[in-house]
Amino acid sequence: MTLFKEFTKGFIKENPVFVMALGLCPTLAVTSSVVNAIGMGLAATFVLVFSNIFISLIKNLIPSKIRIPAYIVVIASFVTIVDMMMHAYLPAIHKSLGLFIPLIVVNCIILGRAEAFASKNNVLRSVVDGLGMGFGFTLALVVIGGIREVLGAGQFLGINVLPESYQPMLVAILAPGAFIVMGLLMGLMNLKKKK
Amino acid sequence: MSILLYSVLTLGALGLIYGLGLAFASKKFHVEIDPKIEDINEILPSANCGACGYPGCAAYAEAVVEKGAEINLCAPGGDDVIKNIAEIMGMEATTADRKVAIIHCQSGGKDNTNFKYNYQGIETCKAAILVSGGPNACNYGCVYQYDCVRACKFDAMHIDDNGMIIVNNDNCTGCGACAIACPRDLIEMVSIKKRVHILCASHDKGAVSRKACGNNTACIACTLCVKKCPVDAITMDNNLAIIDYDKCIVCGMCADVCPTAAIFDPLKEVRAQKKAAAKAKAEAIKKRLEEQKANENKEEK
Amino acid sequence: MEFVGKILFMAVMAIFVQNFVLMRFLGLCPYIGVSKKLDSALGMGMAVIFVMTMASTFTWLIHTYLLVPLHIEFLQTIAFILTIASLVQLVEMVIQKTAPALYKSLGVFLPLITTNCAVLGVAILNIQSEYNFILAILNGLFAGIGFTLVLILMAGIRERLERAELPVSMKGMPISMIVAGSMALAFLGFSGLKF
Repeated sequence: MTLFKEFTKGFIKENPVFVMALGLCPTLAVTSSVVNAIGMGLAATFVLVFSNIFISLIKNLIPSKIRIPAYIVVIASFVTIVDMMMHAYLPAIHKSLGLFIPLIVVNCIILGRAEAFASKNNVLRSVVDGLGMGFGFTLALVVIGGIREVLGAGQFLGINVLPESYQPMLVAILAPGAFIVMGLLMGLMNLKKKK
Repeated sequence: MSILLYSVLTLGALGLIYGLGLAFASKKFHVEIDPKIEDINEILPSANCGACGYPGCAAYAEAVVEKGAEINLCAPGGDDVIKNIAEIMGMEATTADRKVAIIHCQSGGKDNTNFKYNYQGIETCKAAILVSGGPNACNYGCVYQYDCVRACKFDAMHIDDNGMIIVNNDNCTGCGACAIACPRDLIEMVSIKKRVHILCASHDKGAVSRKACGNNTACIACTLCVKKCPVDAITMDNNLAIIDYDKCIVCGMCADVCPTAAIFDPLKEVRAQKKAAAKAKAEAIKKRLEEQKANENKEEK
Repeated sequence: MEFVGKILFMAVMAIFVQNFVLMRFLGLCPYIGVSKKLDSALGMGMAVIFVMTMASTFTWLIHTYLLVPLHIEFLQTIAFILTIASLVQLVEMVIQKTAPALYKSLGVFLPLITTNCAVLGVAILNIQSEYNFILAILNGLFAGIGFTLVLILMAGIRERLERAELPVSMKGMPISMIVAGSMALAFLGFSGLKF
């Protein structure tokens, strides 16, 4: 596959959230506003790219039996770095994302790509794959976050986009709304796939 | 600086302790699994279909090694698996008689069958037969809610354009899941060598069953097949003819005499053509011999 | 007596008001993946309760007696995930040897729970809420019970859904999400609970 195709496959064809149904926990939790969604998406992309690089570099040095714990340690290290960086430079987002930044460690997307791709390909392809998947993840988060924020607060990125008379559907920002919006979007993706 | 030192030391120590601990534990808590069980488990198809009679491939592997189960029970695996198991166990291989699914009903599919009423409910055969003895006019036939098709894990059952259920003999592994799924017990697992079947399950009297069948291919219990069979493989059981597959020699003569075409032989026409061709050839030879004889007589005179 | 009241309060919070799956969005992957049949749901639930309780215990000990005295709390993520992974591996080995019947029923699920965000989530939450030792263990236990409760409910509903007439694109994941959303709506009603 050409390098460009590697990059774009993560956007729609192999979108980690909608097509592969990975990484559901952070998807539903942080999409109550678009700002949070972008923050989480970029943090996850950072971890994904760097852990892909590192694992691709040392893939021949790790014995097969302990590869999963080794990957987890690498990913955990980068998550700690991202956590500390966000705490220092983006304290507001760090606070609203809260528990879910450390939980990027157990995000199935990152471990999945490390196992399926980085351990078998060279550094350049791993970087491209990481970027593609990360942006696909961010894209999915922004779409869901956009829908939820517009419906639930009449805002997008904090800017009012709907007329004053709109009574916001509070449930869209709360937990049930997340599930229902996700379910409907997945149904739509299935419909598109059938066609 | 001390933080750096402490971090490296702590993580290093943790990693070392956990690693050593797990290595020690894996030795101490080692469970003795006979390597043969793992070998056999690996060559089994891992479909966990239960055709062998054991709950899953792992259980069958265990049974073969520890309880001496027969090595030819894996239907989906076929001869290859039997050979491999035999190699692992150091035994001689016995071949399995490959079985496929036969549906004893040919009412012509969902579109052609006579229905008493239009069934609208939970789309499963088991529920459909509970309502007034089933939606179709024949009380013994297929109700076409396709429980068997859904039960098949090997993609061997398909629904054609008329709604008929077609069994793909190449994919069918003889696991019997469809037979268990059919609530009217219409499906039987029969050796693939026996190609002649009675495709009717109706125990109703001849006139009743013929009228009910949408395809007009019901067994009317005329007993012509019973009389024709050269090895007495067919018996009449309460208005329905049944073939004993152990006795059947697959000659197809019953299919030739059946007046309603309830008995199905896929090679019926081929056999008829061959018979006609042989007859024509015999006639031709007879004619030639007669002409030859007539010529000889002429010459003598 | 006050202690018992506090524990009861914590139990109600962890199981109902702040249910780990429906309100906190933790543990979604196994929730969606294993809730297809009632028997496997029960086995998974038991395994999760067990792992969550043990993980809470050990991570609390590691945090209090190793990370804090040496001022290396930032290594929390890495240390916790390493501990949880090794613990689960050890427990699986012990159970396989000492209680083979138990292993047959829930042993299969143990590796699946290692990278479950719910386990790491409850460990980190214990530290964030500054619970003492006993409360941390109890919180882990109650979180597991809450997860099991919702898992069993979901499995029961999904078994019925198999027979329902649904549009093809909604079958499977989409409808499960919407059902989860309805359950979340129901659990939202608990948020008014006061003692």
